[in-house]
Amino acid sequence: MSEILKDYLPLVVFIAVAMGIGVALLVVPFIVAYSNPDPEKLSAYECGFNAFDDARMKFDVRFYLVAILFIIFDLEVAFLFPWAVAFGQIGLFGFWSMMVFLAVLTIGFIYEWRKGALEWD
Amino acid sequence: MTETFQFAALAPVLPEISLAVGAMVLLMFGAVMKDRALNFVSVMSILLLLAVGYWVSTMPSDKAAMGGSFISDDFGRFMKVLTLTGSAFAILLARGFLTAPGRVLFEFPILIVLATTGMMIMISAGDLIALYLGLELMSLSLYVVAAIDRENVRSTEAGLKYFVLGALSSGMLLYGASLVYGFTGTVNFAGIAKEATHGGVGLTIGLVFVLAGLCFKVSAVPFHMWTPDVYEGAPTPVTAFFAAAPKVAAMALFVRVALTAFPTIAPQWQQIIVFVSIASMVLGAFAAIGQTNIKRLMGYSSIGHMGFALVGLASGTADGVQGVLVYMAIYMTMTLGTFACILAMRREGGSVETISDLAGLSRTNPALAFFLAMLMFSLAGIPPLAGFFAKLYVFLAAIKAGMFTLSVIGVLASVVGAYYYLRIVKVMYFDEPAQAFAPMRGELKLVLAISGLLVLLFFIYPSPLVNAAAVAAKSLF
Amino acid sequence: MDELWTTYLWPLIVMVAQSVLMLVVLLIAIAYILYADRKIWAAVQLRRGPNVVGPWGLLQSFADLLKFVLKEPTIPAGANKGVFLLAPFVTCVLALAAWAVIPVSAGWLIADINVGVLYIFAISSLMVYGVIMAGWASNSKYPFLAALRSAAQMVSYEVSIGFVIITVLLCVGSLNLTEVVEAQDGKYGMFGWYWLPLFPMFVIFFVSALAETNRPPFDLVEAESELVAGFMVEYGSTPYMMFMLGEYVAIATMCAMGTILFLGGWLPPFQVAPFTWVPGIVWFLLKLLFIFFMFALVKAFVPRYRYDQLMRLGWKVFLPASLAMVVIVAGVLQYANLAPK
Repeated sequence: MSEILKDYLPLVVFIAVAMGIGVALLVVPFIVAYSNPDPEKLSAYECGFNAFDDARMKFDVRFYLVAILFIIFDLEVAFLFPWAVAFGQIGLFGFWSMMVFLAVLTIGFIYEWRKGALEWD
Repeated sequence: MTETFQFAALAPVLPEISLAVGAMVLLMFGAVMKDRALNFVSVMSILLLLAVGYWVSTMPSDKAAMGGSFISDDFGRFMKVLTLTGSAFAILLARGFLTAPGRVLFEFPILIVLATTGMMIMISAGDLIALYLGLELMSLSLYVVAAIDRENVRSTEAGLKYFVLGALSSGMLLYGASLVYGFTGTVNFAGIAKEATHGGVGLTIGLVFVLAGLCFKVSAVPFHMWTPDVYEGAPTPVTAFFAAAPKVAAMALFVRVALTAFPTIAPQWQQIIVFVSIASMVLGAFAAIGQTNIKRLMGYSSIGHMGFALVGLASGTADGVQGVLVYMAIYMTMTLGTFACILAMRREGGSVETISDLAGLSRTNPALAFFLAMLMFSLAGIPPLAGFFAKLYVFLAAIKAGMFTLSVIGVLASVVGAYYYLRIVKVMYFDEPAQAFAPMRGELKLVLAISGLLVLLFFIYPSPLVNAAAVAAKSLF
Repeated sequence: MDELWTTYLWPLIVMVAQSVLMLVVLLIAIAYILYADRKIWAAVQLRRGPNVVGPWGLLQSFADLLKFVLKEPTIPAGANKGVFLLAPFVTCVLALAAWAVIPVSAGWLIADINVGVLYIFAISSLMVYGVIMAGWASNSKYPFLAALRSAAQMVSYEVSIGFVIITVLLCVGSLNLTEVVEAQDGKYGMFGWYWLPLFPMFVIFFVSALAETNRPPFDLVEAESELVAGFMVEYGSTPYMMFMLGEYVAIATMCAMGTILFLGGWLPPFQVAPFTWVPGIVWFLLKLLFIFFMFALVKAFVPRYRYDQLMRLGWKVFLPASLAMVVIVAGVLQYANLAPK
């Protein structure tokens, strides 16, 4: 077996076994458990009365904002990973390159903070 | 890995770095000071742009930085000075818009500075990666700027349209760039030129996609659809900016890519450019005739002008490039002047933008009418105004290169185009006067005067511009 | 044929056996972690907790499993059936999958890949999909709102966790979890583990882990006074159990990550005689349980946060603090010449 296979095949096997357990758990009650559905039982839960309208409604735009900010910062973390791992080899130039990048990012962060993108009230 | 970093090696990029740092400092200042920052930020942005423009004009040229992905040559310097000036004037034109009550938009000048940084990187791009980097920095800033009046439905619509179509064109450009890279094995323009001699279908397809992306940015037919909508929807100062600096930068990029990355397969792209150029000139001439909104009309007008400028590129010679450079310089001057007039079209209820609002302007405001008429004549290409010389240079280059059909169609298109420019003059001078406009703001007067005088008096002393353009054009060959 | 057997089939069988063993042990451990959670909580509130099924209630979790399996599974009429069932599956399988790379002792792990940290980070990022899918597929208001909240909460704290991991990586210089542990093996024993030099990051990691796994005091997803039972409102039977299972496995993963990144994994606290006799797995489990004990205590002691407080803590405190720490740690390593070569 090649090196990469030796490293990663166990991972695949493990996930496959985990999936097997997942499928088993998911399927079992449909086989063994008692089942007697009726329309009331299958309706959406809404504190006792019938649902007014579709549940997929408009929601606060701030959730989008958080998602966008997350993408920015998560990408940044993704950039930092290889930098951190190779930190010993890249020397002063590598250090300062990332510091410049972080400085630019911090400026963006301060801007969004001051503009109230992080406020939840 | 441990090579010592030479700070001096960054010297050719320093103007761009200063712009970027300046933009960030101003952003921080604005973020801290909130609404009080507007005046300071816009004045500082203008000064920054002009200072960098002066710096660039005095820089030594023919330097490369960052392993050849950044080229600072005469061509780049010429175009950079143009874009920097255009952006500075665009901020100046926006002063009235920005200080309107209830609006706090200190981001506007900063976004323009950032867009300008992107343009400068584009102009100096020496490989496909720098090209894309600059292009995206510019485009992303422009999308935001288009939608900057976010309470206004038309502005947000314009921003969204521009964003969606712009993203599509960026995708095409990237796709083309990846094909070019795949078939030549290099992203460097000089390297591509060396490898491209073998030709091949894949490379041609890549070339077509890259050109399609660039055509979108200069709004040449058949990638012009966004232009009228965005021009009409975006706030007028933003439209003025769109019509000036980004066009210059995109045209510079177009020229550089065509002439430094693909000179060895020139016949292939020349066909495309000839087609695009003819289509733009014709569409710009005919579609503008029926317009009633003056911003929309300027949108079609700019499509037509890009067609004329591309005539110079189609010839593929140094003369042609010189023509393009002269054309872009004069086009930018005329456009900024025209938009100063459009911005002056204000009554108590706010700004108006239909052509009929200009009726009888010669009687209510003769000076404004005179300058606007001169600009219209110049846009139409009537001698002895600057617009005539602009067209003259590109057509002469095309004729020298033996492209007679192209030149004839171009001249015919400019005759058709003259109709709608002259119609505006007719409305101003021969129609019954409409209600007078509110008095013009000082900075609009300034911009209009500068641009009007340059357009009027260009024929007396054209040599500085023409010579600078000749030197710049030579640096590409 | 022989070669096929020795090079492929036999190793494959070994892998399957190892995986099954690991998962079974993990699931049993989770059963007792759940039990421990309930017992600790009860003890804080001066109750007894589960004490009926088996001696001292030790079989409680297994009784629960049996009960879930025998419950009637319902799928709401308005739900997207496929996604509705996929959501608990995704949550549960992803949570389990993370354990493939966690070294419970020297060399005791399923897959010794060289990007282990990245793998765990990726898996825990994917966990949010289970929540979003459940909230969307249920087609009911409470789950939908809860899913949005939960997604925003999880991604917010993931950023700080990312920065925390970066600081550890700066000190280690490798993404391999085994090497992360080995890098903490020094002459100072437990004082050389990263919890001491990187103490602020350990705190941030701990709190972010609470938020990331939707544990109290950050369990706004299931804030029963507002959102009933969060994104799991429409679930019952084993699909519901799989969410709970996924949640507790994720908690165990976070505890294991804390153990590996900050508490020296399977290393004994001091490299001297009585400590080194104890096998590594015991140390690993002790440390993991110590962190879990703190998780459980926080659940018992700390009142629930408001949503705006939660977001403020994540974005305005942890993010700048951890970003600053990345800069500080990198600067110190660079200029004190301590960076791993």
